[in-house]
Amino acid sequence: MSFYLEKDYFADEELFNLVNQVMAGNLTLHWLDAKTERVRAVPRDTQRGLTYDDTNVGSYGYDAIAETLRDKYTMAPRGSEIWGRLPDLGYTINRKSDVWADDVARLYEEAKSRRWAPAVDVPWDALAAAKLPREIEAAVAQLSTTLEEIALVGLEMPSRWVCVINQEFLEMKSFLCAQMIDQARHLEAFRKRALIGGQGLKRASVAAEQALKEILFAETYPAASLSLNLMLGSGLLTLYRFLAAIAPSAVERRIFSFAMQDKARHVAYGMGHMRYHLARQPNQAAVLAEYLDRTEHCLLGVLAAPELVEAMVLIAGRPERVARFFERAVEEYLERCERIGFAQRGRRSRLRPTLRDVLAA
Amino acid sequence: MAYLSTIDFFENRSFLDRWKAAMKGDLDLSWMNAATEQVECRPQNPRRGLTFRDLDVGSYGYTELPEIVRKNRTFAPRGAELVDGLPDLQPEVSRKSEVWAYNIEGYYEEAMTRQWNAATDIAWHDLAKYDVPDDVNRAFAQLCTFLSEVEMIATDVPAKWVGKLSADFFEVKNFVATQAMDEARHAEVFRKRALASGVGLMKASPQNEWSLKQLRDADSFAEMSVGLHLAGEGFVLTLFRFSELISPTDVDKKMFRLVMQDEARHVGYGMQHLKWVIDHFPEKREMIHAHLDEVENMIFGGGYATEVTESFIILSGKGLKKENIEQGVRITAQFQLKQIEEYFERLDKCGLTERRRMSKLANAMELTKAMLAEMGIAA
Repeated sequence: MSFYLEKDYFADEELFNLVNQVMAGNLTLHWLDAKTERVRAVPRDTQRGLTYDDTNVGSYGYDAIAETLRDKYTMAPRGSEIWGRLPDLGYTINRKSDVWADDVARLYEEAKSRRWAPAVDVPWDALAAAKLPREIEAAVAQLSTTLEEIALVGLEMPSRWVCVINQEFLEMKSFLCAQMIDQARHLEAFRKRALIGGQGLKRASVAAEQALKEILFAETYPAASLSLNLMLGSGLLTLYRFLAAIAPSAVERRIFSFAMQDKARHVAYGMGHMRYHLARQPNQAAVLAEYLDRTEHCLLGVLAAPELVEAMVLIAGRPERVARFFERAVEEYLERCERIGFAQRGRRSRLRPTLRDVLAA
Repeated sequence: MAYLSTIDFFENRSFLDRWKAAMKGDLDLSWMNAATEQVECRPQNPRRGLTFRDLDVGSYGYTELPEIVRKNRTFAPRGAELVDGLPDLQPEVSRKSEVWAYNIEGYYEEAMTRQWNAATDIAWHDLAKYDVPDDVNRAFAQLCTFLSEVEMIATDVPAKWVGKLSADFFEVKNFVATQAMDEARHAEVFRKRALASGVGLMKASPQNEWSLKQLRDADSFAEMSVGLHLAGEGFVLTLFRFSELISPTDVDKKMFRLVMQDEARHVGYGMQHLKWVIDHFPEKREMIHAHLDEVENMIFGGGYATEVTESFIILSGKGLKKENIEQGVRITAQFQLKQIEEYFERLDKCGLTERRRMSKLANAMELTKAMLAEMGIAA
C-alpha cells in the first residue's frame, strides 16, 4: 500500500462516542442545511428522458466548470458542499480544455441508447447456413484478427487516462467509460467472427502493433485523443464503412454497421475535443501539428498493414476498390483535420504523396 | 515521445514495396498458412447467442490458458500466430491467478446484455406525482450525493489496471470495461436523482473520500479487487437493498433494483476472483489478510460519515420526529449489522473462513450487538 488511513479506528474513542451518540438518536444533522443550490431538473424531451443536458443547471452544470481546477482533487460531486479535510486523489489532468468537447454529454447519452450485444445482436446462424469460400473465410479471419488487435488498443487508451482525469469532468469521464465498453464489444465481435468461421485466428501484425503502440503511448491526453480518436478513428470509420459495403455475409455486415455507429461517436468526440482544445489553447495548434507530422505514419502502419491490405483485396475482389478506400480514408481524415483548425494539414501531411506514390506504381 | 515504432512507415522500403505489390494484386498471402488452430465455434444455447464460453476451445480458450503467460507480451489476440517484431507492451501482470475469476466470461456476457439507460429507464416524470416531505427529500438527496460521490472509484481503480494486464486476460479487461460503464451510469443516476428532487446535491463526505483513496492504492490487482469488489461494493450492495426498502417513491425503488443488478455482478466477480486466488495462489492468503486488516479499518472508520448514517436513519424512520428517529435507528442498526454479516459470509464462501477469528471488525460487530441490546435496540 502506498497510502494508509491516519488512524486505527478500532481504537478510536472519539469515533466510538460519535457512533453511540448517533445511534442513541442524537443526530448531528450538520448536513441538513447544506449550502448548495436548490434545483429541480426535469426532462425537456420525454422521449430522451432525463439527460445530462437537462441537469446542466447553475453550479451543477458543466457549463460552470472552470477552465483550471486548483482546489478540487476529490470525487466530491460537482456542486455539492465541500467541507472538512479532504484528500488529494492524484488527478493530473485538471484543465477543462485538455479533455472537454462541447457535445461530450450528448455523445455519452447517445452511447447508452445505442448499446448492442455481440452475443445476441449479430445473426451468427447466417454463417452456419451458408459458409464462405475457403479463401474468403481465411481473409475474414485475418481481418478479424487484426481488428481485434486494434480494438484492444481502443479499450486500453481510455482506461489509461480515465483515472487521472479530474472527477469534475464527470460527463467526459463517463464518455470514456462508454468508449471502453464500445471497444470491449468490438474486440468481442471480431474475435467471435474469426472463431465461428472454421479457420480460427490468423497472424498478429507487426506493422499494426508497432503503430498502435506508438499511438497508445502518447505523452499527453490531447495528443492521445488526437491520434486515437481523430486520426486512427477516422481511418477506422472509413474502413468499417468500406468493409460493411463489401461484407461477404450478413454477419460481417451487421458487425461493421454497429461498429461504424460507435466509431462515428468516438470520432465526433475527437473532433469536438480538438476544436475545444485549440479554441482555448491556440498555441497548441503548432505543437499538435508537429505531433501529427511525427505520428501520421502510424495511420499507414495500421491501415496498410500487409495482413489487413491483402485480406481486403481478397474480400473486395479487385485491388482498385481497396485503392479507392485508401483515397477516401486519407481525404476524409485530412478534411476532418482542416475542419477543426489544422489549416494546411492537407499540404503539410505526407499521407497524400505517399499514397499517390503507392497507387501510381 | 514515450514510444516510437521500430518502423517509420513513410520511409520503410520493404513496408511500402509490399503495399504497392498488394495494390497491384501481387499478394504474399503467407498469413493464410498461419500456424494456428482451426476451429468452428457454435452457440451452445441459441437464446444466449454466441458467448465467450462457446469460444473456450483449444489454444483460444481460457481453460487452457497457463497460470503464467510467458510468450505473449503483445497486443496479439490469444491463439493468434506470434511473429518476430511484435512490440512488448510491458504488462505488469502476467499471472492468471492475479486476475482470474470463476465464471468471468459469464459475468462479462451478463453485463453486456443487461446494460440499461439512466436517462430513459427511470420514470423521471413520475417523480412529480409524489409529495415527499422536505426532511425525507433532503435525506434522500444526501444519500444520492454520497452514492454519486463514491460510485466512480469503481471505474477509476480497476481501469488503472487494464493496461497493466497481459493481453491474454482480455476477458478480465472486457469485464472491467463493463464495470466502468456500470459505475458511470450509477454516478449518473444518483446525480440526476438528487438534481430532480427539488433539493439538489447536499454535502460531500470527507471520511469516505479518504476511503476512496485507500481503495485506489492497493499493491496488486488481487488486493485491489478484494478491497473494491468484495468489501467496498459488497457493503454498497447491502446498502442498495436496504435503500430500495426505504426509498420514498416507486421511481427510486426501480432505480435501486437496476443498480443492484450491476453491483451484484461486481461483487460476484470479486468473490469468484478471491476464490480463484485462494484455490490457485495460496501464498497470497496472508497478503490478503493483511490487506483486509486495512480495508476493515476503513469500513469501521465510516462511522465518522454521519451525513450518510443520519440520512439513512431519517429515510428509514420516514421523518425527523422522535418516533421517526427511534424507528430509523432500529432499521439502520439492523442494516449495518447485516452489511458486516454479509461481508463475512462472502469471505466464508470464498474459503477465507478464518477471517472472522482474526478480524477486529468481527469483534466490533459483536460489541455493537451488545451495545445495541443495552440501548434497547434489538440486534
